[in-house]
Amino acid sequence: MRAGRLTASVAGIIALTLTAAGCGLSGGGSGGGDGTAGGCKVDKGNVGSGKLTGDVKGQITFQTTNLKKDFGAFFNGVIASFEKAHPGAKVKWIDDPGDNTFTQGTVADAQACTLPDVINVNAPTATALTKAGYLLNLSVKDPQVARPFVPSFWKSATFQDASGSAIHTTLPWYTGGVLLTYNKDLLNKAGIDPAKPPTTLFGLFADYEKVAKAGQGKFYATMANPIWRIPSDFDQMNIKTLSADGKSAVFANDPRTTQWVAWMAKLYKEGAMPKDSLSSSNDPSTLYSQGKVAYGSTNPSFVRFVKQNSPSIYARTAVGQQPYDALGRASAGAPQYISVAATSKHAPVALAFAEYLTNAENQTAWCKDPDVVIFPTTTASLNDPFFQNVTGSDPFSQARKLVADQLKTADTNQTNLSPAVQNAIVGQVQLAMQGKKSPAQAVKDAQAKANELLKQAG
Amino acid sequence: MATETAEPVTVPGTGRAASVPGTAPSRIRRIGRAVLPGPVPGANGAALYRRWWLPWLWTAPAIVCAVVFGVFPFLNTVILSFTDAKPLGGAASFVGLDNYTRMLGDSDFWLATRNSILYAVVVVPLMVLLPLMLAVLVEKNLPGIGFFRSAFYTPVLASSVVVGLSWQWLLADDGLVNTWLQKAHLIRSAVPFLSDSWLILFSAMGLTLWKGLGWYMIFYLAALGNVPKELHEAAQMDGAGAVRRFWHITVPGVRQAMMLVGTLTGIGCLRVFTEIFMLGSSTGGPGGADRTLPFYIRDVGLDPISGNAGYGSAVSVALFVLTLGLTLLAQRLTKEDEA
Repeated sequence: MRAGRLTASVAGIIALTLTAAGCGLSGGGSGGGDGTAGGCKVDKGNVGSGKLTGDVKGQITFQTTNLKKDFGAFFNGVIASFEKAHPGAKVKWIDDPGDNTFTQGTVADAQACTLPDVINVNAPTATALTKAGYLLNLSVKDPQVARPFVPSFWKSATFQDASGSAIHTTLPWYTGGVLLTYNKDLLNKAGIDPAKPPTTLFGLFADYEKVAKAGQGKFYATMANPIWRIPSDFDQMNIKTLSADGKSAVFANDPRTTQWVAWMAKLYKEGAMPKDSLSSSNDPSTLYSQGKVAYGSTNPSFVRFVKQNSPSIYARTAVGQQPYDALGRASAGAPQYISVAATSKHAPVALAFAEYLTNAENQTAWCKDPDVVIFPTTTASLNDPFFQNVTGSDPFSQARKLVADQLKTADTNQTNLSPAVQNAIVGQVQLAMQGKKSPAQAVKDAQAKANELLKQAG
Repeated sequence: MATETAEPVTVPGTGRAASVPGTAPSRIRRIGRAVLPGPVPGANGAALYRRWWLPWLWTAPAIVCAVVFGVFPFLNTVILSFTDAKPLGGAASFVGLDNYTRMLGDSDFWLATRNSILYAVVVVPLMVLLPLMLAVLVEKNLPGIGFFRSAFYTPVLASSVVVGLSWQWLLADDGLVNTWLQKAHLIRSAVPFLSDSWLILFSAMGLTLWKGLGWYMIFYLAALGNVPKELHEAAQMDGAGAVRRFWHITVPGVRQAMMLVGTLTGIGCLRVFTEIFMLGSSTGGPGGADRTLPFYIRDVGLDPISGNAGYGSAVSVALFVLTLGLTLLAQRLTKEDEA
């Protein structure tokens, strides 16, 4: 009797365990079809080499990143017009806060086969999801999909799949560009002519040094945490951070990397940056708005933040072109992307909505919002007079003009570092800035730690 | 010899016989007879539970939860630790003890282990004693004491992120703490609470303590209720002061609660992440010098692009062994104390 009970009990526990294991390892089998994407079962049409076909009917989920608060009316309008044009299609909009858990949260959604059908992703997230096969191969599923986009943006919107082939899993959406934003009064106090921004990053660092001498701890040039500058500064200086196949770090091979770290260490020591910002996640927004930092964020929409939160500082704010340095053009960074989940149960609806959202008409309409400085990625939108004939001398208008100028030639291929690799490099630079390592040793150690992580990634 | 016969007890006003526990069918037995097949053996309601599967039925929800959210993830982690699995899945190869061998020679792993252990060594004794002292202070029912109890408990309710931001403002170079110290002429230049790796670590410990004091104070308030007041009165009559009574009556009286607080705090300390992230940002302090084991697991195991879930799992197993060791130590100390 007792043995029977024991057997039944053990069998029950094993059954439970296997059920749980099945839940965890099978990936849930979202689509119920006979194809697979990542670890999920999906409709056969979502994968493979055939064009996507099917009725544009059914409900999909559309996820943006921190846009609902400021642009709710615009996106609700886009969704309503899409639903009107496609009876039977329904779009449910959700908005992720876009904090530093975004990539890991999205990856967890993908593993659970619950990725939103249409999703706004950044480059690191797109890299991870493409490698694991969770995104639709857009140029295969709709061969005409590239037509509206500026060729350079479309060309850069590729990511490597598991086999290492570059495929189009993203539609380029909007881009911000990069700018110098600064407080004219503080620059004047430091003897810097705001009308003549430097053309090299080391020239900019020399200006930071002047601000440090003028500020004497009362105000600073910028923030210390190198996380705001790696790898964008390296890109702008045309320093190769990673090898061509992305499997090893090579930035230490360029002597300018050590010079760059030496500059950062010098500036930190001389007080060009608040000491407590070395490993702080705070960007310059707050201190700039208080008039304590001379240079603001390089994101043009930062101007909007200052206008809303600190009108008196906004009156003293000017914008200048980003130093083009050795690259010879702006390293504008990757745009925001729109992707379609390969796990979508209504992929025809999702693809149709993704293309509708990023078409020239909708991109132009959004980018004309008076409170943002963002730029479209479609050829027709960029040819709109709104972007070509900018007038006005206010920081907003000037920012639009400068970005429009730089986007004609900008490099949108920002080096794509994983958060762990970026942190590993940043950590060593921080030690050099504290004087705990020489710049040369820090660069060497940073490369070794980055390589260790890249090696384990395979 | 007369034989006593039990008279049936009637329910007043109804004329119906009432059931007497142990002698007459109880309501539960009648329900049992109605809904369960077969005869109900035995003379009382407990016999209902002789069906072997009933205890399993009652405990099934808890067992399912434990298996799905505890046992299975744990076993999966152990299995993964012998592979080179990636966070996003895909094919994983068996690598034997490679991950554990790598761990032993990994200086960053040992740095994270040191930080986690140091965290526990510093925080546990303070977290065991300070809330007890706080509980003793607010135990008495004085007018307005509720305000102080609420005030001490408030940090427990605040989110870790909000508390972390508040502490950033407090500890910044131009923050409240440095400003006060400078105004009091105790320091000339700002104390680098947020840029020195040791100070970031100790500031994070302070944050953990501040946030946990109120929670454990409630534990102790409950435990203090079981300490006989007569002992305090007798000791007071014999001339024992407040400090002596605290050490010789209060502390022994709540020793079990102290062991529990120590164990829970120790486990919590080994899992610290948010405090370090809030004060040391995504790098875990300058050069990653303040990373704890969970922080390190995130960096090496969970990064969706460069992470190695196999190695991260091996570090997780090491963290589990450390936590288990601490728990067993606490159990042993408790048993010795009881003996």
